[in-house]
Amino acid sequence: MFRLDHQKAVSFCDGLRRRDFLHAGSAGMLGLGLTDFLSLKAQGAVHNDKSDINVIMLFLVGGPSQLDTWDMKPNAPSEIRGPYKPIKTNVPGIEISEIFPRMARHADKWSLVRTLYHTAAAVHDTGHQMMQTGRLFQGGLNHPHMGSVLGKLRGPNGDVPPHVLLPRPIGNTGGNMPHGQDAGYLGKAHDPFVLNADPAEPNFEVPDMLPPDYISAVRIKRRRKWRDMIDDAVKHFEEVPDAKLLDTTFHQAYTLMSSKKARAAFDLTQESDDTRKRYGWNRFGQSCLMAKRLIEAGVRFVTVNMFETVFDEITWDIHGSSPFSPIECYSNLVGPMFDNGFTSLVEDLSRTGWLDSTMIVATGEFGRTPKINPAGGRDHWPACWPVVMAGGGIQGGRVVGESDDIGGAPKSRPTTPAEVTATVYHGLGIDLETELPGPQNRPIRVVDHGVEPIMELFT
Amino acid sequence: MIRKALVAAFLLTPPCVAQSPQSIEILPDGVTLSGPQSSHRLIVQGRFADGSERDLTAKAAFNASNPKVVNMDDSVLRPLANGRTRLTAEVAGVSASIEITVENYQAPFVPSFLSDVQPVLTKAGCNSGACHGSEAGKNGFKLSLRGYDPEFDHAVLTREAVGRRVARWDPSKSLLLLKPTLTIPHQGGRRFAVDSPDFRIIAEWIANGALAPAEDEARIIDLRISPEQAWLQTDAEQQVIVQAVYSDGSRRDVTRWAKFSSTNSGVATVDGLGRVKMQGPGEAAITVWYSSKVKFARFGIPFDHEITPNVYSDAPRNNYIDDLVIEKLRALRIAPSEPVGDAAFLRRAYLDAMGALPGPAEVERFIADPSPDKRQRLIDAILEREEFIDYWAYKWSDLLLVSSRDLGNSAMWSYYRWVRDSVAKNTPWDRFVRQVLTSTGNSRVKGELNYYQLHRNTIELAENVTQAFLGLRITCARCHNHPLEKWTQNDYYQFANLVSRVAQKNGTGEGDVVVYRSPSGDINHPKLGKPLPPRPLDGEELALDSSKDRRQHLAEWLTSAENPYFARAVVNKIWANFLGRGIVDPVDDMRATNPASNEKLLTALTKDFIEHNFDVKHLVRRIMLSATYQRSSKSNATNADDEVYYSRYIVRRLPAEVVLDAVSQVTRVPTRFSGYPEGTHAIQLPDTQVNSFFLTVFGRPPRVNVDAAEREHAPTIKQALHVINGDTLNNMLRDEEGAIEMFLKLGLSNAKILDHLYLSALSRYSTKQEKDALVRVLDEAEQATRADPLERDPRRKPLEDLMWAMLTGKEFLFNH
Repeated sequence: MFRLDHQKAVSFCDGLRRRDFLHAGSAGMLGLGLTDFLSLKAQGAVHNDKSDINVIMLFLVGGPSQLDTWDMKPNAPSEIRGPYKPIKTNVPGIEISEIFPRMARHADKWSLVRTLYHTAAAVHDTGHQMMQTGRLFQGGLNHPHMGSVLGKLRGPNGDVPPHVLLPRPIGNTGGNMPHGQDAGYLGKAHDPFVLNADPAEPNFEVPDMLPPDYISAVRIKRRRKWRDMIDDAVKHFEEVPDAKLLDTTFHQAYTLMSSKKARAAFDLTQESDDTRKRYGWNRFGQSCLMAKRLIEAGVRFVTVNMFETVFDEITWDIHGSSPFSPIECYSNLVGPMFDNGFTSLVEDLSRTGWLDSTMIVATGEFGRTPKINPAGGRDHWPACWPVVMAGGGIQGGRVVGESDDIGGAPKSRPTTPAEVTATVYHGLGIDLETELPGPQNRPIRVVDHGVEPIMELFT
Repeated sequence: MIRKALVAAFLLTPPCVAQSPQSIEILPDGVTLSGPQSSHRLIVQGRFADGSERDLTAKAAFNASNPKVVNMDDSVLRPLANGRTRLTAEVAGVSASIEITVENYQAPFVPSFLSDVQPVLTKAGCNSGACHGSEAGKNGFKLSLRGYDPEFDHAVLTREAVGRRVARWDPSKSLLLLKPTLTIPHQGGRRFAVDSPDFRIIAEWIANGALAPAEDEARIIDLRISPEQAWLQTDAEQQVIVQAVYSDGSRRDVTRWAKFSSTNSGVATVDGLGRVKMQGPGEAAITVWYSSKVKFARFGIPFDHEITPNVYSDAPRNNYIDDLVIEKLRALRIAPSEPVGDAAFLRRAYLDAMGALPGPAEVERFIADPSPDKRQRLIDAILEREEFIDYWAYKWSDLLLVSSRDLGNSAMWSYYRWVRDSVAKNTPWDRFVRQVLTSTGNSRVKGELNYYQLHRNTIELAENVTQAFLGLRITCARCHNHPLEKWTQNDYYQFANLVSRVAQKNGTGEGDVVVYRSPSGDINHPKLGKPLPPRPLDGEELALDSSKDRRQHLAEWLTSAENPYFARAVVNKIWANFLGRGIVDPVDDMRATNPASNEKLLTALTKDFIEHNFDVKHLVRRIMLSATYQRSSKSNATNADDEVYYSRYIVRRLPAEVVLDAVSQVTRVPTRFSGYPEGTHAIQLPDTQVNSFFLTVFGRPPRVNVDAAEREHAPTIKQALHVINGDTLNNMLRDEEGAIEMFLKLGLSNAKILDHLYLSALSRYSTKQEKDALVRVLDEAEQATRADPLERDPRRKPLEDLMWAMLTGKEFLFNH
């Protein structure tokens, strides 16, 4: 167990010190026992050299338009090129949209893959599934989110959960299909820890992280022991996943409570106001900041959902008409929000050296129609869209794949969502042959046979 | 009857690779081939002594009584001349035969756009959402999504692009042939080869003038799948045949053009040609999609448990539910769990039917009662309790989204009062829903009218009605034909037009509206730019100028006994309330491609419910009386993994409101909800806007969307943190007037207190072992506390801690 606060015990009113109840073992924090971990290691699923790489996935819910962000076509007719102009970046030859001025100054640290595509139904939900799990959900299989796979294979690193989802899960986006944001067939024990709160709110804090002062450490420990004694009568419940999960969540709660470092990771008041402003005083910006703190505290995978839904909210989903968003929101709201959150993250992680071991993936679920629609917006277009990647072994200043003249289809190197998943796993040092236990323990590979990482990003 | 018993008996022995079938059958059971190019695949299905089936087509020898009429090649039947013949198949000395008719053999083959060309385009993916079927088309060429609009597609192919797509005078120059064969560049790649059957169909169609669908051309009305159901063995391969049934009664083999998928790839997988491969024990549905029609076939492999036949014959059966559940368990070779004991039954019945814990005295009385009919009497008594009304009013308020969020306080109250009164009167479900839909007048007087206040927009209203009362999600069809279901965009707008003539104006007071029938108003179909005649899904059309109240028309269809979804949807919800999982799961996803785990059971329950006049209490009684409901949650050697077939009671966490009320009951500390009188139970709250961190963190639904998943059941770290550190439970334990204070004032011994707590929290007596162990640790803790001079009463904190341990454990938080 790795703990920073064991020297600085907090006193309780009864004179007992916090560390007296802090002996909650945390090796098996999220359902994965140490033995599991070791056996996976023996199977070669875990490589030592890269096992300290982490991931921050910024999910740009709604689906950014390739033509207004990272794949501009200034020479295309006006109904295609849209209202924004390209600007130069600090890497000659790479141009991006004027809505990302800060990002443009750091192109040496990030790269683009401009030719993502998928062929499933052009609804949000399918793209969410594929970008977070590498697969479309078929045959009754709910595939796990990459973060849950990582949590399953590596277990927690210290007292924090291995996979955290900020600030809230993706809600209804119209298709009524799963979004691929949980552990799927790996079981709820590997679901991400979900913040379910808005870190930009003035009095934000994660509630109930510490016992009230009228409950001493001795009592916390006693309660825990007695609870186990009473539940001994219903041991057989444990074959029911939800019942087993109840015990797991109690265990996780005790681990969180006992770790000052873990608690501090969620505490944004420890950052200066200037820093918080730099990330942007909004859900996304503050979530990016929290993601940075969580990674530094040992979380292996943080997913930040930029938005919760695409209805009645200003998002990337610029159909142009209500209840969706107009194209102008890119320059006056959504674009700056992303620019500040993403760029601050890249700046801070690279300054502290954490960028070398932290991969950032920013992607939507699809691109948008090259031709502007009668409502002045753009509709869903899964045939071509860009992904931004940085850090964790990904080289900066690259552009992989080229789209056609209107950004409507890949001209070279068409790339599937599964290849992005493979790229993340490769960066993490997870062997692509690794098999996960599916339903009825059927082995399922982390990515399908034949899917390769985008090696151009690494070398 | 005898045959059924025999088959059943054979199912009990584990499958072995049987050498020869007991009987064989040719599927389908008769074929008419029409036209020279027609063909039909056949299957020879063998039935074996162990009850399993096998696809023996490859092993069969075929013999036609008149070999001049048909030719059988690689399991495909092709015509040779007009006439009739019997076709016999023989495998290992067993034979079967069917009648074959060939007609129109002399007629020239003229492919029809509708039944030949479109299936090719669909199967090749040309009109899929990712290609030319997308909203914007591809490269200026757009088809209707998966071919739902044949007239449109025909016009696009033959009239646009100056005749280049279809070159009538030189078919080989048609883009429709050059592109998909990659003869010239095509972004979508090669879809079929030159001279393939698909190629020839399109070429012939063009050569014959590229005719449009005729007005009177037979349209597809249904699909037939063969075999529809079979128990197979691991690694078995089974061909599925799909027949399209047309409005003129004819049938065609469309297997080649159908799309297939499996609902459970761990049990069965399927390829694009309808070849099923069995993987492991369990059941899977193979969904078949063809031309906006959806059907499925079911294949299973029994588990490989050894179970003696008397397990099933001796299992208690209280009503038809048990017969149908046992039938399923027998086929799958899963043994049911033992009957549940009295104490656990009492607790379960109270919590499931009325969301309340039995009091300690009730537990003791029930356990001691020697009469054999005490469970029946208990159920009858529960159905008459006030708490029963609270619980079901809460449940239906979830469904109807009763909340002050959009309604404001007074409207929310009138809405809730109406729901609760209806439950109190046990209003039949059909009348309850009819009232919601057809009421007019003042919303303060008629609370049900707030349903219209919540859904002011026609589109939202239409989608909500189908989701809430039929368990169908039709949202996709708003913009295009539903990609996975049978609903078309026309269906959608015809349906929506049923609720387009509801008007509202402000009433006299706050939150008060008058809802009335408007004489005019239509919703336009966005592509056609005009309204379509209102029509319920699969129902009777109403003329646009009809004077009949459209809502009335909708309600008649919706709540009719013939509506295949209405009763079924609510029956499934009520069943899930008691058994922990819908027969269709998720409970509010009744679409055709989400099959029931026990179709016979759901059908029988639905029939029973309709025959008893949509009486919810009747159905509740029927379910609670069944031996299926009264099974233990403890598994046996065969059913630990079964969460689908009701071989045992499924252990599950109590709903948020029920947990809070139970905690309050055991600690004897009422929860205080702001704005509500002290003593109000969480389950009595009319509104989910009432502030309670405990309820929110335990998954109370916000009542914003009609979606059963709004209510969360899964344990989370935040719930654990809240009960460990939060103020809800801890303050109840500390309360100066609660149960602990009472124990102390009465001077009860620790042993007595434990007796009481086991009865009040866990609804059972403690075992001697449990009591001894806990008394010991309590005594020790008291001794330790005594050393602290600041403690007012050294017994208090240990007792608080004991109670905490009891109220946070699995036995308390879960129904079992």
